[in-house]
Amino acid sequence: MLSRLLSALRRRTRVWARKRHGIDSDPLTLSPRRIYIVPSGLGIAFTLMLFAMFLGAMNYSNNLALGLTFMLGALALTAMHYCHRNLAGLQLRSAASEPVFAGQTARFRIALENDAKVARYELVIANEHSVAQPARVESGGRVVLDLDVPAPQRGLLALDSFEISTRHPFGLFRAWAYLNIDLRCVVYPKPSPRGLPPPPLETDTGGAQDTTRGDEDFAGLRAFHPGDSPRRIAWKAYAREQGLQVKVYAGTAVTSHSFDWDALPGLGTEARLSQLCRWVEDAYAAGRAFGLRLPGVEIAPNVGPGQRQRCLTALALFDEKAAHG
Amino acid sequence: MAEVRALRWIPTTQWPPTLQRLVWVIAGLALSVVPHVPHIKAWILVLAAGAAALRIAIEVKQWQMLAKWLRSVLAFVALLAVLLDYRTLNGIDAGTALLIVMAGMKLLETRSVRDLTVIVFLSYFALFAAFLYNQSLLRLPYMLVTAWLLTVTLMRIHQTTTSMSIREALGITGRMFAQSLPLAILLFLLFPRLPGQFWSVVPARGEAVTGLSDEMSPGDVSDLSISTALAFRAKFIGPLPPPRERYWRGPVLHDFDGRTWRQPRTLFVAQEVVTSGATYEYDLMIEPHQRRWVFALDVPTNWPKRRAARSSDLQLLTGFERPVSTLTTFRLESATSYTVNGPLPNLMRATDTRLPGGRNERSILLAREMRERAGSDEAFIAAVLAKFRDEEYFYTLEPPRLKLDSVDDFLFNTRRGFCEHFASAFTMLARAAGIPARVVTGYQGGEFNPISGYLLIRQSDAHAWSEVWLGERGWVRVDPTAAVAPERIERGIEAALTEGGESLPGTFLRNSALLTRLRLAWDAANTFWNNQVVAFGEEQQRWLLERLNIGDGDWQELGVGLVLTLVAFFALMSVYLAWRFRPRALDPLAQIYEQMCRKLARHGLPRAPHEGPTDYVTRVLQTRPELAQQLVEARKIYVALRYGPRSWGPQLNRSELSRLKFIVNQLKV
Repeated sequence: MLSRLLSALRRRTRVWARKRHGIDSDPLTLSPRRIYIVPSGLGIAFTLMLFAMFLGAMNYSNNLALGLTFMLGALALTAMHYCHRNLAGLQLRSAASEPVFAGQTARFRIALENDAKVARYELVIANEHSVAQPARVESGGRVVLDLDVPAPQRGLLALDSFEISTRHPFGLFRAWAYLNIDLRCVVYPKPSPRGLPPPPLETDTGGAQDTTRGDEDFAGLRAFHPGDSPRRIAWKAYAREQGLQVKVYAGTAVTSHSFDWDALPGLGTEARLSQLCRWVEDAYAAGRAFGLRLPGVEIAPNVGPGQRQRCLTALALFDEKAAHG
Repeated sequence: MAEVRALRWIPTTQWPPTLQRLVWVIAGLALSVVPHVPHIKAWILVLAAGAAALRIAIEVKQWQMLAKWLRSVLAFVALLAVLLDYRTLNGIDAGTALLIVMAGMKLLETRSVRDLTVIVFLSYFALFAAFLYNQSLLRLPYMLVTAWLLTVTLMRIHQTTTSMSIREALGITGRMFAQSLPLAILLFLLFPRLPGQFWSVVPARGEAVTGLSDEMSPGDVSDLSISTALAFRAKFIGPLPPPRERYWRGPVLHDFDGRTWRQPRTLFVAQEVVTSGATYEYDLMIEPHQRRWVFALDVPTNWPKRRAARSSDLQLLTGFERPVSTLTTFRLESATSYTVNGPLPNLMRATDTRLPGGRNERSILLAREMRERAGSDEAFIAAVLAKFRDEEYFYTLEPPRLKLDSVDDFLFNTRRGFCEHFASAFTMLARAAGIPARVVTGYQGGEFNPISGYLLIRQSDAHAWSEVWLGERGWVRVDPTAAVAPERIERGIEAALTEGGESLPGTFLRNSALLTRLRLAWDAANTFWNNQVVAFGEEQQRWLLERLNIGDGDWQELGVGLVLTLVAFFALMSVYLAWRFRPRALDPLAQIYEQMCRKLARHGLPRAPHEGPTDYVTRVLQTRPELAQQLVEARKIYVALRYGPRSWGPQLNRSELSRLKFIVNQLKV
C-alpha cells in the first residue's frame, strides 16, 4: 500500500519535473538550480544523534562535548554542499544505443563528463527499471553508463525521464536531478519462429543490372570488406599470406531474396513484420543478398550489416496507416 | 615456518573490500572506546572485543552470520547484564556501558553499508561520551584525530564501487574539517547557554573521585596527600593572602564516635559573622568532585547567592540538586579576620561538647587535669599546643595504624600523626575540657603559578584543623599541626615532610628549576584552556559580545548572530565550491579558438556541436563572405597547429600561435 503510494508520488514528481524543466538539450550541463537535495535516512539518524548529543552536552554543561556536537553538525552542513556540488556542473551526453528486438531490453547509454578540476564521486543514474553501478568520474574524464528499458513492441522506444543522484561524501544527503533527454532507440519486430520457408531465390540473369556481380564465373579477387560472406573468402589466398581476399564472380546470375509484404497474405500486420524480420535475419546470417518490399517502402537487394539494419529499421518503423494513405 | 606465514600474509590493500571496510569500522570503534577503558567495567570491553573478533572471523572464514533470534537473545541478555550491573540505564556510566555493548551487538549483524554507518555513528557517540568524563587539554589531540579517522571511515565505506585511497580520503575529509571548523567555533560561541541541568542525573554510588569526604578517620587525609591531582584554582583580584591565612574551608565535622568524625544530621541556627579588616576578592575554579562543597577562603562574606549558600558552620555549599559536576567558577569574597557574634545556640553547644561514652578515657582524664592546671580556656589551649610542640610528637605522612580508641593510642602510644590525628586529638581534648570544639576539613596553602597568576591547590594540600568556641571571641581557629610542624603552614607540605626526611612522590620533579618552569607553563596552558574553553558559559559569552561591541548578549542578539553565521557559511561554501569545481583551463590554442567561436556566436553564427573548424568556417563564410581573408587564415593556422604533423606540445610554434591570436583579436564581425 505504502510502496504503491510512494511510487505514485514518484511518478507525479517526475511528471511535475518534466513540466518544470522541459525536454533537455543533448549535451546537457546540470545547473545547480535543478538539483534537489534532502537528508537520507542515515542523515536523519545522524541528526537525531546530534540532537541527543546536544541535549547531553547542554545538560552536563560540557563544553567539549558541545564543541564536538557543533563540529559534527558543521561537518554535515559542509557535506551537504559537497553533495550538491558533486552533481552541479556535470555534463551528460547521450551515447549510441544499439537497436534491439521487441521483447528484449533496450540499453540506453549515457555519458557523464566531468570538466571540473576535481573528481566527482558516486554518481548513480537510474530509471524505473534499472539502476546503474555508481561511477566515479575523474577530472576531465568520462564514464558511460547504461540504463535499461524493456522494449515490449517494435517502433521507436523513448527513454522516459531518468534521474541522476549522488550520496557522496557520507551518505547523509541525497542530491538528485530529474532528466528528460530526448533519446530514442529503434526496436525491431520480434522475429517469428522459424518455419515458414523464405520465398525462393530470385535470379537476375546475364548481369543485366550489374556486370560485376554474379554467381557463376570466377572473375578474380578483391580485398575483404566487412559484411562479405565468409563463404566467398579466398582461404587459399589467405593461406598464401596474401591477406584476406574475397572471390568475385562475374557474369551470369545474381541471386537474391526479395521479401515481400504481399507474399504473406492472411496474416496480421505484426505477424507479417515478424515473419519478414525472421527472413531478413536468416538471409543475413547465411550471407545472402536480400531486399525488402513493403507498402510504400522498397529496398533493393544487397548484402551486409548495413542492409540488414536498413531493412530491420524499415520493419520497425513501418506504419500501416501511413502506407495506405 | 616463516615462509608459510609470509605466503599467507596478504597486504591490506588486497583484502576484499568488505573486509577492509569492516576492519576500518572496527578500528574506529576501538579508538573511540579507548578513552573509556579506565572507568568502564572489564566485562563490557571483553564482550565488545569478542563480538568484533567473531565478526571478523565470520568475514574471513565465510561463515554463516548468527541467526536473527540468537542475535536478539544476545542483545537482550547484554542489556539485562548492564542493567543488573549498574542498577540503572540512566547516567553517564550506565549509558556508556550500554553504548559500547550495543555497538558490539550491532557489529554481529553488520552486512550492509547502512549497518556499518550505524557503527560509525555509535563510535562518534562514544567519543562524545568520553568528553563527559574528561575535558583535559591533553586528550584533545587524540579526540580530534579519532574524529577525523571516523569521518574518513564514514567516507570510505560509502565509496561503493571503486575503493578510495586512504590518502585521498584523508585529504578530502581534512579539508572538510577545516571548512567546518569556523562554523563550529561560531556556533559554540554564540549558542545560548542554559544555566544548570535540566535533566538531573544522580551520580552512581561508589563513583570514586579523589578528594575530601564527608567524614574523617585517621589516615584519610594522609591518603589524599599522595595525590597531586588538582582540587581547584584561585585567582585573586587584589593581593594574595599570606600563606598562613590560606585556609580553604570544606566540610565541618561535629559528630565523633571515638575514632571517626562526621557531619551532623541536625541543622543549626546560623550565627552572625562580623568581619574586620580587608577582604579578598577572587575567582575559585573548582574541578568536578560531585559534591556540593565550595572551598572558599575562610570565611566567605560574599558569594553568588543564586548558586550557593553559606551553612551555619560557615561552609559554602551549592544547591541540593546541583553538585559540582563540571569545572565550575565562583566569584567570591572572603575575610580572614572575623568574629562570629552572638550566643552559641544550645543545640550547637550540646553537639560540640559531646563525647562518646567509655572511649579514650585516658585522654579525657588528661584534658580535665590540664584544664584545672591552666585556669582558663585560652591557657588550656596553649598548654595542649605546647605539649604537641615540646614533647615527642612527630608530623609524618605514614603514621602507624591506630586502635579503636584512636586518640588515646595516638597521644600516649604512637605519637606520630598527620594533620587529621592532631586535629582529632586536639578537638577531643578541648571537648573533654568543656570547650565547644569542631573539626574543619579543607585545604591549606597552594602553589602560586607566576605565569598564569593563579594559586593552584592540589589534593595533597588537604588539611584538617580545629575551631573552638571562646565566648566573646566566638569561633577561633586552632591548627595543632602548626604547633608540631609550623613549616607545613608557612611553606607547604613538602617543606614539612622534607624536614623529617620524608618525600612526596613527584618531589624531584618539583625541585628541578627547568621542570618547574615547564610544569607551570603547562599548567598555565591548562588554566587558559579550562577558563576559556571548558568553563565557557553565560558570563564569558556576555563578556565576549561586549568586547566585540555586538551587544549585551541576550537571546535575541545571539539568535540573530546564529542566523547570520549560517547564512554567511552557506554563501561562502557555495562560492568556494563553485570555484573549486571550476572547469579545467583549456590549452592556449583551444582558448583562442573558443574566443573566435564566441565572437562569431555573438553575431548569430554559433558553432554547432558537430562542426569541425573547416565546416564551421565554410558555413560562416556563406553568410559573411567579407570575413574570408581573416577566417581562412585563422582556420589554416588552427588546423595546422591542432591536427598538423608537428605534434602539439612542447614544440609549440609560438609565432604561429601569436599570429592566430592577433587575427582573432582583430576580427571585426
